[in-house]
Amino acid sequence: MRSDSPILRVVARFAVPLTLLVAVQIFFQGHNYPGGGFIAGVLATAAGVMYLLAFGTQRLARVAWWRLSIVGLGIAVLNGFVPLLRGRAYLDNVTLHFGTLHLPTATFFDLGVLLIVIGTLMTIFVELSLERR
Amino acid sequence: MPDSGALLLTALALPFAAAAAVVVLGDRLRLRSGWLLLAAAAGSCALLASLAASLDAAAPLLVRLEWLPAIDVALAFRADGFGLFFALLVSGVGVLVVAYSLGYLGADDADRARRYYAALAVFMGAMIGIALSDDLLVLFVFWELTSVSSFLLIGHHFEDDDARAGALTALQVTALGGLVMLVGFLLVGQVAGTYSLSRITADPALVARLLDSPLGTWALLCILVGAFTKSAQVPFHFWLPRAMVAPTPISAYLHAATMVKAGVFLVGRLLPVFGESPLWLPVLVAVGGTSMLLGAYQATREVDLKAILARTTGSILGLLFLLYGIGAAQQDALQMLSHALYKGALFLVAGIVDHWAHTRDLRKLGGLRRALPLPFAACVLAALSMGGIAPLLGFVAKESVYGAVLYGAALADLPTLRLGVLAACVAASALMAATAYRFTAGIFLGAGARAAEHGGAHGAAAPEAGGMLWLSPLILALGCVGFGLAAGTDAAAHAAALLSSVGGGGLELSPLPHLGAPLAATAVTLALAALIHWQRQPLAALGDRLHVDVSAAALWQRGLAGIVRVGEAFSQRWENGSLRWYLAGTLLTFPLATLYAFARLGLSNDTIVIALDETPWYGVLFCLLLAAGALAAVRARNRLAAALASTASGFLVAMLYVVYRSPDILLTQILIETVSTIFLLLVLVHLPQFASRDQRAGGGLTRATVATAVGLTATVLMLLALSPALRAPDSIGTQPGGLLSLALAEGGGANAVNVIIVDIRALDTSGEVAVLVVVGLIVYGLLRTRRGWT
Repeated sequence: MRSDSPILRVVARFAVPLTLLVAVQIFFQGHNYPGGGFIAGVLATAAGVMYLLAFGTQRLARVAWWRLSIVGLGIAVLNGFVPLLRGRAYLDNVTLHFGTLHLPTATFFDLGVLLIVIGTLMTIFVELSLERR
Repeated sequence: MPDSGALLLTALALPFAAAAAVVVLGDRLRLRSGWLLLAAAAGSCALLASLAASLDAAAPLLVRLEWLPAIDVALAFRADGFGLFFALLVSGVGVLVVAYSLGYLGADDADRARRYYAALAVFMGAMIGIALSDDLLVLFVFWELTSVSSFLLIGHHFEDDDARAGALTALQVTALGGLVMLVGFLLVGQVAGTYSLSRITADPALVARLLDSPLGTWALLCILVGAFTKSAQVPFHFWLPRAMVAPTPISAYLHAATMVKAGVFLVGRLLPVFGESPLWLPVLVAVGGTSMLLGAYQATREVDLKAILARTTGSILGLLFLLYGIGAAQQDALQMLSHALYKGALFLVAGIVDHWAHTRDLRKLGGLRRALPLPFAACVLAALSMGGIAPLLGFVAKESVYGAVLYGAALADLPTLRLGVLAACVAASALMAATAYRFTAGIFLGAGARAAEHGGAHGAAAPEAGGMLWLSPLILALGCVGFGLAAGTDAAAHAAALLSSVGGGGLELSPLPHLGAPLAATAVTLALAALIHWQRQPLAALGDRLHVDVSAAALWQRGLAGIVRVGEAFSQRWENGSLRWYLAGTLLTFPLATLYAFARLGLSNDTIVIALDETPWYGVLFCLLLAAGALAAVRARNRLAAALASTASGFLVAMLYVVYRSPDILLTQILIETVSTIFLLLVLVHLPQFASRDQRAGGGLTRATVATAVGLTATVLMLLALSPALRAPDSIGTQPGGLLSLALAEGGGANAVNVIIVDIRALDTSGEVAVLVVVGLIVYGLLRTRRGWT
């Protein structure tokens, strides 16, 4: 699938990286402002789909997106064991301190959600667009 | 002296460790994998023997590792006399069987040696687990493990249709029985409040509660079904002869010495709990007696060596159940040992004969005594023990049976039943003795048959058939002699009582005949056996004439086919592939379930707390546009228009979130609408023309009704969402302990929605994202499969 519209391609050249940047922003602000892993994942997928529509399926079809979702699930599940090292319950939140940077383990869980959303949705979109008409 | 609890756990873990080692190293070791298992089995046996040597009957060793304390399930093991006896039997015969397997598995089996020894090791560990488990649920786990590993072992020659069918039947019957047994265990747990056998038996109040409760009766019946299926009792006896497709050492181990005795063992374990139940005697005597007679009779009609042995095994197991039924539990260990020794030996001899002559058909065999002298000796000894000839262990066991039947206290008030049981035992023993003679004479005596000569020529070229194969059956057969001769000593009587399921004394054993009623019964038995053998041809003709064509196996197959038919009919009716049908089912569930919930909570109009007059004018405008969009979607002539109209509605809903100032959901809604519209467009091109079919009269009305019901329900649900009746007042909100305050305090985030999703309710979320991953994989698999994995 590849669009014949030059307008879409020109717009997509700017809009795709911009959307991805916004997705990153939304992911990190999710703790205190509207956002989070799920929405960021959907937004990133929207960027991916725009790329798909404008430039065709070829390059994106080379990525095994379903693996991304497995990796995400692995991160989310394994992250749950980190609190156990500190004697807390499975999936309890623990804040890790690296110098001045404070990372709650929930962030990694959210990262897992993000990867799962991207992986699953992109799998579906790429596979659907590969279907013959 | 190391901790005996650790010894017990090591004895249990050794076979499993061997299984793991075989799986890892089996590719390289191939046939030599057996040595690993041999070492593990010998180690296990030695540890168990040391535990048995220091056994204290009054206070057996208990090891308890907490597993699921919330429902009182623990990895609890108990090394009392009976458990240790059974575990020793399993590991001891296991050593001999593995040693035999080392010679039995030839070069043809090198590729399967890993599978064989790994499954055998798991089986051995699971059997030891059954013997030592104190917790009913742990026992169940080991029980099912034996079913699964025996399935692999029976199906060793899986290229053979019969082997697969036999393995499958064994698995189906024993697994079904195991599930019924689990129900029984759960009922016991419900009534007694614990799954620990030792706690139940130690507390007379719990035992009384189990006996008085109707659930306790059902529990007993369910557990007995499990025991009867495992031990191949009527009407589940048919799987055992079919399982004879297994390699012969497996048959000797699983189907003579150990696994089929698990059912008997379980009943012995339950004796202190259910022994006083009014059902105990009638059920066990009826099923055990029937199986005993039927098995002994059917054995006389078989010509396949292993089938003969399988039938007699079913018969002996029936006798063991019968003995439990009439309260003669002191001798269970004696009977099990006696049977394991001679039947194990006979099976292993049958394996040697099969290996040597390449047939197991008794009609084609004969005169092998010169060719196979050592197996001949083992067979004679074992057959003498089976026939109950003094001074072998079989004689001691048989005399004990007659003694128990003649003088047992449980039958004191039932003289007719005592007579009937005695007659049945004599008849079964006579048939068994005649079969033992027919088996031995048919293989080894008489003139050499054609197959034997062929085997002689072949045997010279097949050295593996000689090897050390004769060693294991000879040891087992000599065991019949040794234990028999030792039976008269005080130590033997002491051990037999200590190792039985009820303990205590009351067992007088002697390898020598002494005058009395039991001896008279034995004499009658042997006379009858001689008569049966002498008149075998008229009897066989009579049997042919009386043959009734009722087969439990055929009934079982019919039942299985019935299950499949019901399943197919169900699928055709309910899973008919119509998207509308599925959708209607899903959608209708929603209003019906909601109606039920409303009825239970007593919700009504009065509990609506939303005041519609607070809505600003532009909110109303959005709502009207929304309705127009929905209407357009319904009236659309093609799918594309419908998709666009519903997208428009979605964005209008997003505008409503602006009205109610919830940016989080607004963002989500807009993104989801965007992505799902593109998704729809990608899918739509593959769907057939809109409404091309199913335009029959009334279809529209039905759909409108379903749609209206769903819409109304959704509306009412939203109106009631804030009603205090629908939620516990303190769970949400900013007050201390509410979710919103928890979000900031524990999750450390100001975005309460997100913190709830990724932290406070993270477990729910991980379940949901796992579903998402699975859905993605399914889509991938379905579409790729359709395209052919290009």
